[in-house]
Amino acid sequence: MQKNLTVTSSPHLRSSRSTKSIMQEVCLALAPAGIAGVVLFGWQALAIILTSVLSCVLSEYFFQRLNHKKILIGDWSAVVTGLLLAYNIPANAPLWIPLIGGIIAIVLVKQLFGGLGGNFMNPALTARAILFVSWSGIMSNYPATRFMTDATTSGTPLVQIAAGENIAIRDLLLGNCGGVLGETCKIAILLGGLYLLIRGIADWRIPVCFIGSAFVCYLIQDGFQVAVLEILSGGLLLGAFFMATDYVTCPMSGSGRVIMGVGCGILLFVIRSYATYIEGCSFAILFMNVMTPLIDRFTAGRLFGEVKTRG
Amino acid sequence: MFEMKLFPGGIHPLEGANGKAVNGLNPIRVLEAPPRVIIPLQQHIGAPAKAVVAPGDHVRIGQKIGEAGGFVSAAVHASVSGTVHAVQDAMLANGTMVPAVLIDNDYQEEWVDLHPSDHPETLSAAELQQIVRDAGIVGLGGATFPTAVKLAPSGGRKIEKLIINGAECEPYLTADHRLMLEKAADIIDGIRLMMQALEVDEAQIGVENNKQDAIDILSAEAKKVDGIRVVGLPVRYPQGGEKQLVFALTHRQVPNGGLPLDVGCVVCNVGTVYAIDRAIREGRPLVERITTVGGLVNNPGNFLVRIGTPIDHLIDACGGLQPRVRQFIYGGPMMGMAIARFDIPVTKGCSGLVAMSEKAMEPEESPCIKCGSCRFACPMKLFPSRIDAFTRHNRLEEAEKLGVMNCIECGCCTFVCPAKRSLTQSMRTAKNGIQRKRRRDAARKAQEEARAAQEEAAKKAQEAAEKEPEKTGKEAG
Amino acid sequence: MAEKKNTFWNAFLNGLLFENPTFVLMVGMCPTLAVTTAASNAIGMGLSTTVVLVCSNLFISLLRNMISDKIRIPAFIVVIASFVTMVEMALKAYLPDLSATLGLYIPLIVVNCIIFARAESFAFKNGPVLALGDGLGMGFGFTLAITILASIREIFGAGTIFGLSIMGEGYKPMSLLTAPAGGFLTLGILLILVNLGRKKVDAWSKARKEAEAV
Repeated sequence: MQKNLTVTSSPHLRSSRSTKSIMQEVCLALAPAGIAGVVLFGWQALAIILTSVLSCVLSEYFFQRLNHKKILIGDWSAVVTGLLLAYNIPANAPLWIPLIGGIIAIVLVKQLFGGLGGNFMNPALTARAILFVSWSGIMSNYPATRFMTDATTSGTPLVQIAAGENIAIRDLLLGNCGGVLGETCKIAILLGGLYLLIRGIADWRIPVCFIGSAFVCYLIQDGFQVAVLEILSGGLLLGAFFMATDYVTCPMSGSGRVIMGVGCGILLFVIRSYATYIEGCSFAILFMNVMTPLIDRFTAGRLFGEVKTRG
Repeated sequence: MFEMKLFPGGIHPLEGANGKAVNGLNPIRVLEAPPRVIIPLQQHIGAPAKAVVAPGDHVRIGQKIGEAGGFVSAAVHASVSGTVHAVQDAMLANGTMVPAVLIDNDYQEEWVDLHPSDHPETLSAAELQQIVRDAGIVGLGGATFPTAVKLAPSGGRKIEKLIINGAECEPYLTADHRLMLEKAADIIDGIRLMMQALEVDEAQIGVENNKQDAIDILSAEAKKVDGIRVVGLPVRYPQGGEKQLVFALTHRQVPNGGLPLDVGCVVCNVGTVYAIDRAIREGRPLVERITTVGGLVNNPGNFLVRIGTPIDHLIDACGGLQPRVRQFIYGGPMMGMAIARFDIPVTKGCSGLVAMSEKAMEPEESPCIKCGSCRFACPMKLFPSRIDAFTRHNRLEEAEKLGVMNCIECGCCTFVCPAKRSLTQSMRTAKNGIQRKRRRDAARKAQEEARAAQEEAAKKAQEAAEKEPEKTGKEAG
Repeated sequence: MAEKKNTFWNAFLNGLLFENPTFVLMVGMCPTLAVTTAASNAIGMGLSTTVVLVCSNLFISLLRNMISDKIRIPAFIVVIASFVTMVEMALKAYLPDLSATLGLYIPLIVVNCIIFARAESFAFKNGPVLALGDGLGMGFGFTLAITILASIREIFGAGTIFGLSIMGEGYKPMSLLTAPAGGFLTLGILLILVNLGRKKVDAWSKARKEAEAV
């Protein structure tokens, strides 16, 4: 026997991409939106981001510690959850909101269902939904950005569109509009989203189908101008690039992901247009999260070689 | 055209670099025969060969030392001249012990009398099959399926196309590439003879586009013969998989559980074709092959190696291993087996030996994040992560329903998995378990049928004795 | 468990703790989730159910030899429905406010799984004393469980307990807990804690038995 030689099963080459590297790249892709949030809303935004991330990571650590499980905070997934959660909170919210949100996201939604890979809904989004339903006053009170002169608090552009007000697309792109911490600056989100698409981390099908189907719905109902404004308003882009593409809670086949994207887009349109909530993105995605096992079942696909034998 | 030649799934094992330049494209060197060869009698899929020599016998190169043990089996020949030292069990790369013939080399290099074909141009399929069978040729790409069986015209199915596998998609390995460069004329000659014997008018050689020089040389040679076409294929592992290659070249899908023959194709590796050509033109049986030694060895290269050469002899010829080596792989890094001892012989299916650093070691597994990468990478369009979950819970029926038996164990799923799960290993576990169960079920069924037949006979005898016509309740219900 | 005697007290404790209808048997989930938005509602509901349960258990036990097996379900319904009607009328007469808040859930006690399950699986097979104990135990167990559930929901979801504000001025109630989804969440979390506790108790008693055996 040769010393120093180990025997393992094939294959003996592994790609360099790991769960950790994927999560780190997602964090990197999320960075521009976070920086934009801090620039737009001030240091309070940074405090919320830090609280949320710390809350998520520590919740994960203590839960795994208390349950004598392997501690997996090194995989950065809790950091991603923390960032996404923070981006879904208004920048003027009190700090206990991201704290409780982080605990809900990690303990209630993620760990109780088996930890990473076991949850059936996006932890950050579910936490946001719970926070939103519980403390709707705080969660829908959007601060004005530092570059707005005429108002202290402002409604989201969605409210303004509904009221027929005129909004500059430039403001939407730069994020000079009301909204939660990380969703306002569309350029930053697009930058991060494109990075994920180019690196092949996010599947292009979901954002393309999500945004595309929502756009088509608005185009039919309200015409081109409103459609463009609606796409650039609210949490649609953040949701389409970062939330709907969450691996754990989206279907695992190409066709399934198309269905997921289109479903999200149509639901978003329906909720925004006809339901009482002015912002439908998170609920649309959560709804499709729950549908995911069903979609997976019906998009099993044919195996290679599943053909009739010739003559 | 590009899209047409692509099978579903697949990966690029050495991201960016195509892997072929890893160790350079070294010319084939003839390796000096070792003092003692270990020639296992089971170097192929199927029944083991039966030894026909005894310790003390003098053998010459090319002398048959093992007789094919059945239809799906292959003969084994001495690769050196000398004295049979022993017939005893020896370990193969996969860890199994099989009987082997050990021959002490007398360095006389005496060959048996060779019988080249008298009229190669008039060969029939049956004659070709006989030559291949006598020469002990098996698939040299690594599958080691006895080639004679493939060439047997069976069940009246018409062979329409001969497909030659020059894809060599495993990273590090350059043996086939080198062979195509150095022996292009012989390969084309072999293909021509095979086409003629199989009565096929069309042959395609599939070569990955990263071997443009080989494509050029083969194309130049192929022009001289009608019906042979060299096709450049996109660089993507596992392009050299039989079913993937057939699909890429003909757009036909080999049915599940079927053979390329089911879609009218016969697939042969270029190395195998070269061996067949030698067997026809010179009458030489398969006693040597070209093997790449790559990775972290001091002097990597391609070697013409006698079958049965112990691996340490080959490593010495390469100037030894580098100190960083932590794994030594018999075969390519994607499908080969890791070995921990060097007294294992090079067999007919050994396309390469690769020394690798600790990077090749199995990383720690983490939970599946359901990214679906494995599903997108699987060339058989399976769903490895789900099969893995079922296998780990020992629910093999579900795994079987998901088509695990179609798995070609190419390793793509494990390669891409960001959670570093051993998916391929799970697939193997499931396949083995299902096969065991099938055998058990078949045995039980046979037993039950025998018993039922007995009872039936007894009942009939009784009825005959009673001689009473009985109405059956066919109309009822 | 094996050496447990069939006494009134055992039947009572069994219902109250070891086979608590809400946390262990998981029956009667509909009122459990629906009326636990406030602790006072829960107590009202729990006590009403207890009264019906005790009476129906007692009567069914007494009548068990007269009721034919084939028609026992209709017979149970008649017995239970009679008592439910009585309770409903009594509530309307003496506690009209509670009756108004509980509304439909009082008549729905007729189809409460707890009462049916106990009638079918206990009262129909045991004598009146045991049935009485079982009824009381199950009833109080149910009351206890839904009161705990309702207290948690009320304290955190509205900042009050029995209508009294206790969380101070700055407290922002988590209104999700008083919504239906909050009922499911709270029940789930309580079940986790109860199961953890049971596991600990089981392990402890097993260790004690082993220690005694040695």
